[in-house]
Amino acid sequence: MATERGVRRLAAVDAGAATLGLFVGQKATDAVALAPELVVADADPEADAQALRALADWCARFSPAVAMDPPDSLFLDVTGVDHLWGGEAAMMDDFVERLAKGGLPVRAAVAGSPGAAWALAHFGPDRTVASDAEPLRPLPVAALRLSPADAAQIARLGLRSIGALAALPRDQLGRRFGPDVMRRLDQALGRGGEALAFRRPPNPWFARAAFAEPISVPEDLARACGDIVERLCARLEAEGRGARRFDLAFHRLDGAAERLTVGLALPGRDLAAVTRLFLPLLERIDPGFGIDAVTLGAREVETRALSQTDLHAEQVGRESLAPLVDRLTNRLGEAAVWRAEAFPSHAPERATKRRPPLSPPTSVGWDAARPRPLRLFRRPEPVEVVAPVPDDPPVLFRWRGTAHRVRRAEGPERLGEEWWRRPFDRADPQKARDYYQVEDETGARFWLFRAGLYDAANPPKWWLHGLFG
Amino acid sequence: MSRAARLMAVRASLAILEGSAGRPTLPFGDRRVDDRLPGGGLPLGRWHEAAGEGMGIETAAAASAFVAALATPLAARGEVVWIMRRDDLYAPGLAGLGFPAERLIQVCVRDETAALAALEDALGAAGVVAAIGEAESPDLVAGRRLQLACERHGATGFLIHRRLFGGETRGKGSAAATRWRIASAPSEPAPGEPGLGAPRWRVSLEHCRGGRPGDWIMEKSNGPLPLRVVAELGDRQLDAPQPWRRLAG
Repeated sequence: MATERGVRRLAAVDAGAATLGLFVGQKATDAVALAPELVVADADPEADAQALRALADWCARFSPAVAMDPPDSLFLDVTGVDHLWGGEAAMMDDFVERLAKGGLPVRAAVAGSPGAAWALAHFGPDRTVASDAEPLRPLPVAALRLSPADAAQIARLGLRSIGALAALPRDQLGRRFGPDVMRRLDQALGRGGEALAFRRPPNPWFARAAFAEPISVPEDLARACGDIVERLCARLEAEGRGARRFDLAFHRLDGAAERLTVGLALPGRDLAAVTRLFLPLLERIDPGFGIDAVTLGAREVETRALSQTDLHAEQVGRESLAPLVDRLTNRLGEAAVWRAEAFPSHAPERATKRRPPLSPPTSVGWDAARPRPLRLFRRPEPVEVVAPVPDDPPVLFRWRGTAHRVRRAEGPERLGEEWWRRPFDRADPQKARDYYQVEDETGARFWLFRAGLYDAANPPKWWLHGLFG
Repeated sequence: MSRAARLMAVRASLAILEGSAGRPTLPFGDRRVDDRLPGGGLPLGRWHEAAGEGMGIETAAAASAFVAALATPLAARGEVVWIMRRDDLYAPGLAGLGFPAERLIQVCVRDETAALAALEDALGAAGVVAAIGEAESPDLVAGRRLQLACERHGATGFLIHRRLFGGETRGKGSAAATRWRIASAPSEPAPGEPGLGAPRWRVSLEHCRGGRPGDWIMEKSNGPLPLRVVAELGDRQLDAPQPWRRLAG
C-alpha cells in the first residue's frame, strides 16, 4: 500500500487478492470495503529494490549477463547458455520451477529482443518462447513499456493491440506519437537495439590509489605498484586468503588504462613475490601524459592457511617450487611451462597432454612395454626406403640425404586410426600405421612407420616419426 | 710411505684445493668410470655438458637419453626441470627409459639467452634437484653464473649441446665440471633373443676437473644403477696410431 497524493492506494496485490477483484491502484478504503478481511502492509520500495538485486545475483547461475529493470523485472541474456539445459524452453522451466519452489511466483518469456521478452512476460501467456514477433501482435499497447500519457493517447485512438499499432505507416506513427513510441515499438519487434546494463558482482578484492599529481617516472610507477600490492596483500593476509591472479591497471589522464596481469601457480599473498612479478612488466607501461590512479584487483581468491602448517612432503615441495614456476610462467607464458601426462589415446602424437606444473596429476603413466621414442617429431618426416619383403622392416632407408643401413629391427606395432573419430564401417585401413623400431649400423635408433597397408600397385610411403636416444 | 699412499695424499690435498672434497657424488657403480672422476662419481652440485655427434648435434637424441639416465636417480629426491627450444621431448619415451616423467617440469623457451636464463633460474630454485638445458655452449661468464646457481641449493645442472638447425657447435665451455660426448653404439641383444638389445652409447669423458678423460661403451640397465659399463675403450692418448714405431718395436 502506498500513499499517493494523500490517498492510500494498493501498490501490489497477491494472487489471492486478485481473485477477489482487487487491483493495483485501487483506493485502500474501496478495497477494504470489498474484502473486509484484507491484510495490508506499507510498501517498502527500498526493500523491494534490495530483493531484486539479490535475485539478480542469484540468477547468475543461469547466465553471466543479468540486467535489472526495476521495480520488478529482470533480463537474462541466454544467448549461448541455453544448450546447457537442452533448449530455451527447458531452461525457462527450470528457472521458473526453482523460483516457485522458493515461494516466488514469476512469469517468464524468451524472445529475440529484451522488449519482446518483457511484453510477453508481462502481458502474454506465461512461459512463451517466441521465435519471431508474431505472438506480440495481440498484446495490448501497454506491453510496449510506454509512458502512461502515450499509452492513454494510443488507447483513445482505438488502437488496442501492438499489431494494430505496427500496421500504421511509420511516418504517421512518428508524427502522431513522437519518437519514444517508435523506439519502444522497434525494440519490441526486434528492429531497434536496446542497451542493457548487466549487473556484475563487484570484486571485493580490489584496491585503488589516486595521486594528487599525475606520475609518469618509472621509479614512481614501481613505488605505486609496491604500495598498492602491499595494501591488497595485507587485506588478503588478514582474512587468510590468497589469490592466483592479480590485475594491475594504471589509469592515465586521457582516460585510457594500461593493464598488467600476473598469475601465481598457487594462491599467494606474499608482497615481495607479487611485486617481483610485476616489476619486470612495468617497462611495458606507456604513461602518456601521466597516470592519476592505480587499481589492483585479485581474482581466483581462495582460502589459504596462515602459515605452512602442513608438513607433508608433497605439499612442502609444491610450496617451495611455486616461486620458480611463477617466475617462468610470467616470463615465458602459461603455455611454455608444463608437465606431461598421459592422455588416453593410442595415437602417439596425442598420447600426452600438458598440465600446469603444480596442479595435481589426473592420470596414470604410459604403457612401458611399448617402445616409444625420446624425441617425437611434430610432423613425421618422409624417408625413402628399400624394403624387399612387403611386411618387413626396410633394410635401408635414406633420411635427410643420409643412407642408414638397418642392422636390427623390432616390430611392427600396428596403430589404427582413433576408432571414435568416425563410424566403424567407414574406418580407412589406409590410415593404419605399422611402426618399426630400427637400429642402423652406428647404433642410432629410429621410429619408422609405413602408412597404410601393402599394395603392389601403390607402394606405401614410409615416414620417420621419432628418434630413440 | 708407499707410492699408492703418497698418491692418495696428493689427490686429497688437490681435492681440498679445488673445493671438491666432501661433495656428494653420483657414482656410476663401476670402478672403470668412477676412478677417473673426482670423489668417485659424477660431482653433484655442479654443472655438466653433454654433446652429440653428427646428426646428434641437431637432434640431441643420444645425449638426452644419456642425461636422462644420469638424472633418473636424482629425480627420486626432487623435481627435474628440462628447458628446451624445440618441444619435441616425448614423455612416454622418457618413461620407457625409466625416468619418472611425472617429476619433470618442461619449459619451452624462444632463444638461447632465455634458455640459459631459465636454466640458471631453475638451478637456483628450492625444490629442484636437477635442471637440464638444451643450448649451445655458454661463454665463461654465463658458465660461472650457472655454477653459482648450482651452489645455492646443491642442484646439478646438465647442458645438452644442441643446434636446432645443424652445424658444428661453437666454442667449448670450460666452466663445466665435466664434458661428455655421447654417440650411439650398436646394441647386442642377449643370446637367443630377437630384436633389439638395451640401448648402448659410446660415452667419452672429454674433460673433467680433477679427473681424467676416458672412453667407454655403456648400456641402459634395469638395475638400481641406470647405466652399465660394457667395455672400456683404450685411452685415446695412448691409442693414437704411430704404426711404424710399433712395427719397429
